[in-house]
Amino acid sequence: MKSRAASAAGTVLLLAALAVLVAFPAFVSNPYALHIMILLFLATGQGEAWNIIGGYTGQYSVGHAAYFGAGAYGTLVLLQKWNIAPWYGAWAGVAVALLLSLLIGTICFRLRGPYFVLASIAVAEIVRLTVLNVPSVTNGAEGVLISDLPPFTIGGWVVTDFSTKVPFYYIALALAIVTVLATWAVQNSKLGYYFQAIREDQDAAHSLGISLNFYKNAALLISAFFTALAGVFYALYVRFIDPTTVLPLDLSVQIVLIAIIGGIGTIYGPMIGALVLIPLSEVLRSNVIADLLIKSGLVGVDSGLGIFLKGRLAQAHVLIYGILVVVVILFMPQGVLGFVRKLASRKEQG
Amino acid sequence: MVLVQALVSGILIGGVYALIGIGLTIIFGVMRVINFAHGELMMIGMYLTYFLFTLLHVDPFVSVLITIPIMFAFGAFLQKTVINRILGSLPQNQILLTIGLGLIMSNTVMLAFTSDYKILTTSYSSSSLHIAGISVSQPLAVSFAITVAITAALYWFLMKTDTGQAIRATAQDREAAQLMGINVRRMSILAFGIGASLAGTAGALISPTYYVFPQVGSAFTLKAFVITVLGGMGSVVGATLGGIIIGVVESVGAVTISSDWKDVLVFAIFLVVLLVKPSGLMGKSRM
Repeated sequence: MKSRAASAAGTVLLLAALAVLVAFPAFVSNPYALHIMILLFLATGQGEAWNIIGGYTGQYSVGHAAYFGAGAYGTLVLLQKWNIAPWYGAWAGVAVALLLSLLIGTICFRLRGPYFVLASIAVAEIVRLTVLNVPSVTNGAEGVLISDLPPFTIGGWVVTDFSTKVPFYYIALALAIVTVLATWAVQNSKLGYYFQAIREDQDAAHSLGISLNFYKNAALLISAFFTALAGVFYALYVRFIDPTTVLPLDLSVQIVLIAIIGGIGTIYGPMIGALVLIPLSEVLRSNVIADLLIKSGLVGVDSGLGIFLKGRLAQAHVLIYGILVVVVILFMPQGVLGFVRKLASRKEQG
Repeated sequence: MVLVQALVSGILIGGVYALIGIGLTIIFGVMRVINFAHGELMMIGMYLTYFLFTLLHVDPFVSVLITIPIMFAFGAFLQKTVINRILGSLPQNQILLTIGLGLIMSNTVMLAFTSDYKILTTSYSSSSLHIAGISVSQPLAVSFAITVAITAALYWFLMKTDTGQAIRATAQDREAAQLMGINVRRMSILAFGIGASLAGTAGALISPTYYVFPQVGSAFTLKAFVITVLGGMGSVVGATLGGIIIGVVESVGAVTISSDWKDVLVFAIFLVVLLVKPSGLMGKSRM
C-alpha cells in the first residue's frame, strides 16, 4: 500500500514537472531543444493513444499509421486544395480517422490474436496504397506541402502566427497532457474496467455480459481519435506529408514500440518509452555520436571510420528501435517501467 | 492472349512466392511463431546472391547451393539464441520480437551497404523464351524450375524421412511428440533453419529480376502472410497453392485492373479470407 504521504509527494513531483515543462520555452530558446521536446510530446501522445486499445484492451493494432495519416492528410489536403483553415480541417481529418476506425473495427475485431495483428496491418496498407493511388485528391507519392500556415486568430486578435517553435511546443504539450488525462480517465472508469476484462480473458468477459464488439470498438475509437490528433499536429508542424512519412508500416510499428518499451497498460509506460526512444534515435539521426567521436580526436574526420560514422549512422536510427524491442521483450517483458519497479521491490525486500 | 500471358507469368512468380510462404508456414507449424522477419531473411538471401555474383561471379541460380546452407545456419542460430526464449510467451510479444529482429537485419544491412538500390544484371536478365506464342522471361522460368525441384525435395523430406516425420509430429502436437521421444528443440532449430533457407533461396531466385535494397523485405513479409493465411497457417500444400494464387492474382490484376491497385487487391483478398475462412484453404490438415 502506498502511504498518503508518498502519494502527496507524487502529486507535488508531478506538478513540479509540469511547471518545468510549461516554463521550459521561457528559458530555452534553442530551436533544436524545442524540437526534441516537441517530438517527445508527440511520441507520448502516440504511445498513450495506442495504449488504450493495445495496452488496456489487449488488441495489438499494428495499423495505427492509418489514423495518424488520416488526421494529417485530412488537415493538409483541405488546407491546400480548398483553403480551409486547419482549425476546421483538423476535425475533418479526425472524423475520417474515426470513420476508418469503425470500419477497421467492424472488420478486424472478429479476429483474435495474431490474426487481428495481421488484419490491422493489411487494412493500414490498403489505406496507404489508396492514398498513393488517388493523386487527384492526395497528390500521391509527391505528398502535400504547405509553405505558410495561416495565423491563428480569435475575433481579429492574432494569437500566434507560428513563426517560431514556441506555439507548437505548447500545442504538443497540451496534446500530450490531454491524451494522458484521457488515458487516466479511461483507466479509472467503468469503461476501463471493461477494457481490461477483455484484455485478461475475452471469453470470461463475454460471459459476464460485456459486449466484446462494442467495447473493443469503443477503445479503438478513443485510440484513433487521439492518434489522429497527433497526426494533425504532425502535419501542421512539419508542413509536409507523404505516404512514406505518415502512413508506412514502420510508423505503426514505432507507435507500438513506444508503449511496449515503456510498459503497456500503464499511464507512465508510453512516457518512459518516449523518453527512452526519442533521445536515442535523435542522437543517432543528428550525428551527435559521430561528431563527438570526431571532435574528441578518437576518430579522424578523413579516416574510413569517420566517414562511415558520419555518412551512415544517421540513416540507421531505426536500428535502435529494433535492438531495444528485442532486449525489452527478452529481458523486460513488462517494459522498462515494469523492470525498474521489479528492481525497486527487490531492493525493498532484501 | 494477354490474359494467358499474365496467367503464365503469374504462375512462374507464384513459385517463388510459394517458397517464401512454405518457409513461413513451417516455422509457424512447428513453433506457432509468426515470423515477421521472414522478408528480411529473404533480403539477406538477395544480398548474398548479389555479392556472390559481383565479387565471385557465381551465377545467381548456382549460388542457391551456397545460400541454402548459409541461411540454414543463420536461421538455426536465430532460433537457438533468440526465438527459443519466447516460445511460451504471448503471441503479440513473439510478433514484436521478430519485428525487432527484422528491423535489426534491414538496418544493419543498410549501415553496411547503404540504402542504394542494387541491380544484378546477368546476360539473361532480360531475355525471354517463346513457347506457343507466349513469351516467358527466362530467369523467371529457370527460377520456377528450381522452385519446383526444391519444393518436391522438401515434400519428400517431410513425408518420407524420419526427421521429416518428426518435424511434422512436432507441428501436430508438440507435447505428444516430446513424449514420443522426439527432440522438439532440435526440430524447432531445424524448422527455423529450413524456413530461413527457403526465404534465402527465394531471395536468390528473385534477385536477377528485382531490385536489391535493405527495405525490400517488409513487402515480402506481408506477402508471405497473405500466402500462408490463404493456404492455411501451417499447411505446406496450402502455402504452395497460396503462393501460386497470389502470383496469378497480382499479374492478372495488373493487366485487367491496374498495376497500381494489384497490391490493394491482394490485401483485400487477404481480409476476405480472414473473415470468411480464417483457417485458409487447407486449414484442417497441418503440414
